[in-house]
Amino acid sequence: MSGIGTFDLLFFGLTTLLVLLGGIGTVAAKNPIRGAMGLLTAIVGIAGMYLQLAAEFLAAIQIIVYAGAVVVLFLFVIMLLGPQATTSAGAAGTKVSRYFGAGVLLVTSVGAMSLLWRTRTEIAALPKLPPGHGTIEGIGRELFTTHIVPFELSGALLLVAVVGAVAVARGKQIDPTSAVKVAVAKKPTKQASGEAEAHTAHAKEAG
Amino acid sequence: MSTVPVEYFLIVAAVLFVVGAVGFLLRRNLLVLLMSIELMLNSVNLTLVAYNRLHAANHAGQNLAFFVIAVAAAEAAVGLAIVLAFFRVRKTIHSDEANLLKN
Amino acid sequence: MLGNQFDTKDFALLAVVLLLPAIGAFVNGVFGKRLGKEAVRLMALTAIGGAFLASVVTFLSVPHDGGRLSWTVWRWMSVTGQSGNSVPIDVKFSVDAMTATMMLVVTGVGFLIHLYASEYMKKDPGYHRFFCYLNLFCFAMLLLITGDNLPVLFVGWEGVGMCSYLLIGFWFDDEKNARAGKKAFIVNRIGDFGLILAMALLVYYCGSLTWEGIDNSKLSLLAPVKIWPIGNLSKETLPVFLGNIIIPDKPVQVYAATLVALALFLGCAGKSAQVPLYIWLPDAMAGPTPVSALIHAATMVTAGVYLVARLHFVFLLSPAAMAVVAVIGVVTALLAASIGLFQHDLKKVLAYSTVSQLGFMFIGVGVGAFAAGFFHVFTHAFFKACLFLGAGSVIHAMHARIHDTDRSQDMRNMGGLKRFMPITRWTFFASCCAIAGFPLTAGFWSKDEILWSAFSNNVVNSKAAATPRMAPYEWPPWLGQAIYWGAILAATMTAFYMFRAYFMTFHGNFRGWSIVRGWTDPHAGHDHHDHHEEHDTSKPLEGPEPHESPAPMTAPLVVLAAFALFAGFLNAHPIHIAPLGHFLEPVFKGAEGFVSEREGAKGLMWVMMAPGFAAFLVGTAAAMYVYLNRAGQPEKVFAEKAGGLYRLIYDKWRIDELYDATVVGMVDALADIFTMADKWFIDGVLARLTAMLTALAGTLLRTLQTGRIQVYAAVMLLGLGGVGWFMVYPHADVTADDTSLRSTGEVKLAAAPGYGYTFRWEGLTGTDSQLTERSAVTVRLQPGEKKNVTVFVKNAFQLETSHTVALERPGLPPGAKAQSDGKGAAPPNVPGMVRPDIPTGEIPADDIHKLLLPRGADQGNNKGAEK
Repeated sequence: MSGIGTFDLLFFGLTTLLVLLGGIGTVAAKNPIRGAMGLLTAIVGIAGMYLQLAAEFLAAIQIIVYAGAVVVLFLFVIMLLGPQATTSAGAAGTKVSRYFGAGVLLVTSVGAMSLLWRTRTEIAALPKLPPGHGTIEGIGRELFTTHIVPFELSGALLLVAVVGAVAVARGKQIDPTSAVKVAVAKKPTKQASGEAEAHTAHAKEAG
Repeated sequence: MSTVPVEYFLIVAAVLFVVGAVGFLLRRNLLVLLMSIELMLNSVNLTLVAYNRLHAANHAGQNLAFFVIAVAAAEAAVGLAIVLAFFRVRKTIHSDEANLLKN
Repeated sequence: MLGNQFDTKDFALLAVVLLLPAIGAFVNGVFGKRLGKEAVRLMALTAIGGAFLASVVTFLSVPHDGGRLSWTVWRWMSVTGQSGNSVPIDVKFSVDAMTATMMLVVTGVGFLIHLYASEYMKKDPGYHRFFCYLNLFCFAMLLLITGDNLPVLFVGWEGVGMCSYLLIGFWFDDEKNARAGKKAFIVNRIGDFGLILAMALLVYYCGSLTWEGIDNSKLSLLAPVKIWPIGNLSKETLPVFLGNIIIPDKPVQVYAATLVALALFLGCAGKSAQVPLYIWLPDAMAGPTPVSALIHAATMVTAGVYLVARLHFVFLLSPAAMAVVAVIGVVTALLAASIGLFQHDLKKVLAYSTVSQLGFMFIGVGVGAFAAGFFHVFTHAFFKACLFLGAGSVIHAMHARIHDTDRSQDMRNMGGLKRFMPITRWTFFASCCAIAGFPLTAGFWSKDEILWSAFSNNVVNSKAAATPRMAPYEWPPWLGQAIYWGAILAATMTAFYMFRAYFMTFHGNFRGWSIVRGWTDPHAGHDHHDHHEEHDTSKPLEGPEPHESPAPMTAPLVVLAAFALFAGFLNAHPIHIAPLGHFLEPVFKGAEGFVSEREGAKGLMWVMMAPGFAAFLVGTAAAMYVYLNRAGQPEKVFAEKAGGLYRLIYDKWRIDELYDATVVGMVDALADIFTMADKWFIDGVLARLTAMLTALAGTLLRTLQTGRIQVYAAVMLLGLGGVGWFMVYPHADVTADDTSLRSTGEVKLAAAPGYGYTFRWEGLTGTDSQLTERSAVTVRLQPGEKKNVTVFVKNAFQLETSHTVALERPGLPPGAKAQSDGKGAAPPNVPGMVRPDIPTGEIPADDIHKLLLPRGADQGNNKGAEK
């Protein structure tokens, strides 16, 4: 414990605070918009942790992809669905479930801390980093040599995901509950087509 | 370079995972469920990167985290598309309403 | 003649011969219905005619020095032989003199019968189907005879069997016909089993399946094979009374050649309708008459003879198998001829005649006269095809008024047809003469050759001297003569029943219906093949004059009759005109040295022709007297006086009933048992129990299927927690290696490793007080000592667990106390090793095996003493 620098500890404390508060905010918020904001906070905190763990490139990616794309996509969808979808009754759970969740969280945290305390004598010293560790160059070199096949495959996966997202979100005019809700499906034709276009745009952005 | 031991980050990751899991189990809002999944994925990513700090000879952990991010992005896109489709059918995003197959 | 025109190693002309019928079958089968009857007829006739022309060219190209034309198409597969060598199997075809002759018969007679059938089947709705099958049959038959190895031959063998099945059951809407087809197929399957067995044996012993390869390595077939007792069966393993009866003192051994030859002959007996597998052929007459002529008389049924002649070098190595072939041949000839004596159905008579003639062929190849046997195949193809086609022509005429199959083929309804059907009558007469053996006709020469060979030949395994391990079988001197006289008797009966059929059909008065001039059919326009039509039998039937068949049917008759009369001069050895014989000679030159003339037969050739001629005279004269002069009266008298015997012969000696009662009954009973087991045990207990268990499990598991995603996620988390707990908690698993516990008292203990594990051992001589990395220890025990060893394991999370092992070393037997103190006390008397006292001097032979007992065979006693 003694080998930890004060600034390092402060920085770690800050990011930990961001991550945990953001996470709890995400799952506990009544309003999904607040939840998305919590997610954003947690993601930024994790990016900070990446920085401490010598993963600069991943930190950048984290900010760009998660904060820049995924969270924004969430926000778009929340906006799209409108208020009646986002603030339904009991959205944040009953009282019992809140207490239950808090209890689980507490137990886990204490358990994890106790494990840390038990292993305090075994904590390994951090190894020295080879030059270029965690930089774009370092990762890129491995990504395009050792992991070239999964890399290309992940490209294909993203393409499929984009196509799939568009196909699902556009919603072919098959309504499983057509017997009940024919009128609903038929009425807002103009608006629905506009929606579909918007979904397409978001899906692309996510990819 | 930071001098905070890797174990600290692992603890944070574990707690964050539990936060995500509890959220996934207790909430009924499909959007929140998706966000909980993102939290869990992020905690796993954090674990991977932390272990990579211990075994710094290569970037195996960071690379895996990179791929997880890619997959998570795809998952978010498709998941949100499904939420939209579901909303169009049921006019709600309450997960208990997703019971068409049950009857 | 055309010997130099083609490459003998790449004789691709065979592709034309083979593919034309195949294409014909394909076109007729797939497009025939749309093409119409004229196109189908053109296609079928062109295909088989073209194959015939190509066969002629092939025949003229075959070298006369015994060489063969071959054409390798592709490497089919390769199997592993006895010593791990690879035995390649090619799709390869080859032609030698015998194959070329056979090709001419198949395509030539095949063409004539196609031509005949194109008229005969004219009104049948299944016209295209019929010609598809017929062309397919020709293709398969050509595959069979041109194949260069047994597997290719087998493909053709099965192909002709399938076509035979399809054509016997051609009018499958009648239950009887379908049953006949099924019967033919199943009986043939028994024979095919033998053929497959023979192939396996040949791969094992010869390492080859091609004709040349088998010929080259045939001497390895002289290996003796123990056939009884099988495996390691010995008197000791059986109850005493049983062992004394069924286990002989000396194992029964035979040559591998005998096994191979008999297995091959089983296949031949199935395909060529020999005793005991002949029963399918008479029933096969349910098919259309041209089919009977082509498949069940001229070509397919002779495939067995062809195969024996083709592999004559294998058969010759085993005089015993040759004797079996010849004896089966003569038995078949006699049995079938006797059944043919009193049949009323014209086609049945011809069918039994075919079986009988096939018996003659097997007599020929069985006594080593391969050329003679094959020559009989050749001539028989002509006169029997002619007879069947003539019968078809008669039946065609009878169908003018009688539509029932059985009654239209009944000779009692015919008679006097010579006035109405002169061409049919004269060709039928010519063929009758040929089959009965009228001098100078084809049948006379071929049958005479076989009879003479049976009388004079002696088969000796002359190569067995090279492997003097076992005495070869020798033919008893009376065997050849017995076969000869049996064959003479069969020939007499042949002459009788053939002329009986001729006289009953063409002479006397017409008995079918009363002929009314200018009679017209009141039901004009109805289907001629409607067999189910009801006829009023109370009043005599009236009808027109029976008519001669049209030209496409009579032309083949004339050609075939001409061959039946004159083809004999191709191999007339007694008068030294034998071009075909000389052509075939090189093929059977392997028989030299195996087949010799029996002592005392020299110079008797012309003398021994007399009984053959007498057989013809007696048989024909008797038939003439009974059926021409007395109009069948003596037969009725015989039937009244010896009713039992007459019925027995008429019922084909009730062989079918015998098979039904024994073999079929047995299989039925077995099937019934299996059905019961299936019904009560498999379905009743096993299936129901499984279903119930599954239903129960489903009921239980269904409660977990709430459809709520959170429940599923919670279950997943539970599993995840379990895995986590397993990771976090330490495990103390100890494996003990006590292989040397008995000898030295050492036990090696090893604790399973894990991340961050440290160990502390308790119960050792020097107990650890600290946690160390030592994961394996060795414990030493004194005899009779007990010890408890405990290991404590701690992992990185400071969690601890322990495991205790109880060790015990058994005490020593009282006598062995002095020796093993656990520190390398050397044998002489280590437990588990028995050293009996060996007496000096001579050991009685009975005691030697006791000394040779494997170590530990006597250990049981020793162990008992230890405890």
